[in-house]
Amino acid sequence: MKIWSTEHIFSYPWETVIKAAMRKYPNPMNPSVVGVDVLDRNLDTNGRLHSHRLLSTEWGLPGVVRAILGTNRTMTYVKEHSIVDPDEKKMELSSTNITLTNLISVDERLVYRPHPENPEVTVLTQEAIITVKGVSLSSYLEGLMALTMSANARKGWDAIEWIIQNSERENVPLCDLC
Amino acid sequence: MNSVGEGCTDLKREYDLCFNRWFAEKFLKGDRSGDPCTELFKKYQTCVQKAIKEKDIPIEGLEFMGPSKDKADS
Repeated sequence: MKIWSTEHIFSYPWETVIKAAMRKYPNPMNPSVVGVDVLDRNLDTNGRLHSHRLLSTEWGLPGVVRAILGTNRTMTYVKEHSIVDPDEKKMELSSTNITLTNLISVDERLVYRPHPENPEVTVLTQEAIITVKGVSLSSYLEGLMALTMSANARKGWDAIEWIIQNSERENVPLCDLC
Repeated sequence: MNSVGEGCTDLKREYDLCFNRWFAEKFLKGDRSGDPCTELFKKYQTCVQKAIKEKDIPIEGLEFMGPSKDKADS
């Protein structure tokens, strides 16, 4: 098991970042996400919005991981649960893969909050727990996956920025991005 | 963005458009009324749930490490 974590700061207010995060896909930085479906969505009694989504991804498993795990199956499905609390200004998102689970699991958790000292800026904290199952090189593979996580995290931040710039600034109609 | 069910993509886009507008213009601005997209969501779900069954995607019965632990999937 390997735990990976990082933090990123967006130079935009929370609302702007959250709007972009909710319609993050498609974007040029994450071409591997080929489908996004909402499975369930509801407001809880505290006024928080829960969304359960299914992401269809052509997973960017590092080539060597793919070789050692011996799978050619590249389509992986990920289930994601997000909670947006508009009063507390907090968005939490957790995700886990639901296929290839006999080989590997990647559980990710993200939290978006306004910076405590500067409301014009948003802090994203993100962590992942990576577990490669049943192979003797698993800790080596988990390390490789953690490196991949770092690269992917950067793509995710760039994607949010891209969405913000392409929807907010140019006032692109929402559905051009859905 | 596409749906997992090839035939559901148009229904999904219609729903996304409705939801994104409500989310940005009402929900984030403190309007606590529910989203007006229920009918579009139902149509879209009928299509997507069928596709999920056909493709045998195991969406049920998963433990999440995150916030969903305090709430059973409905």
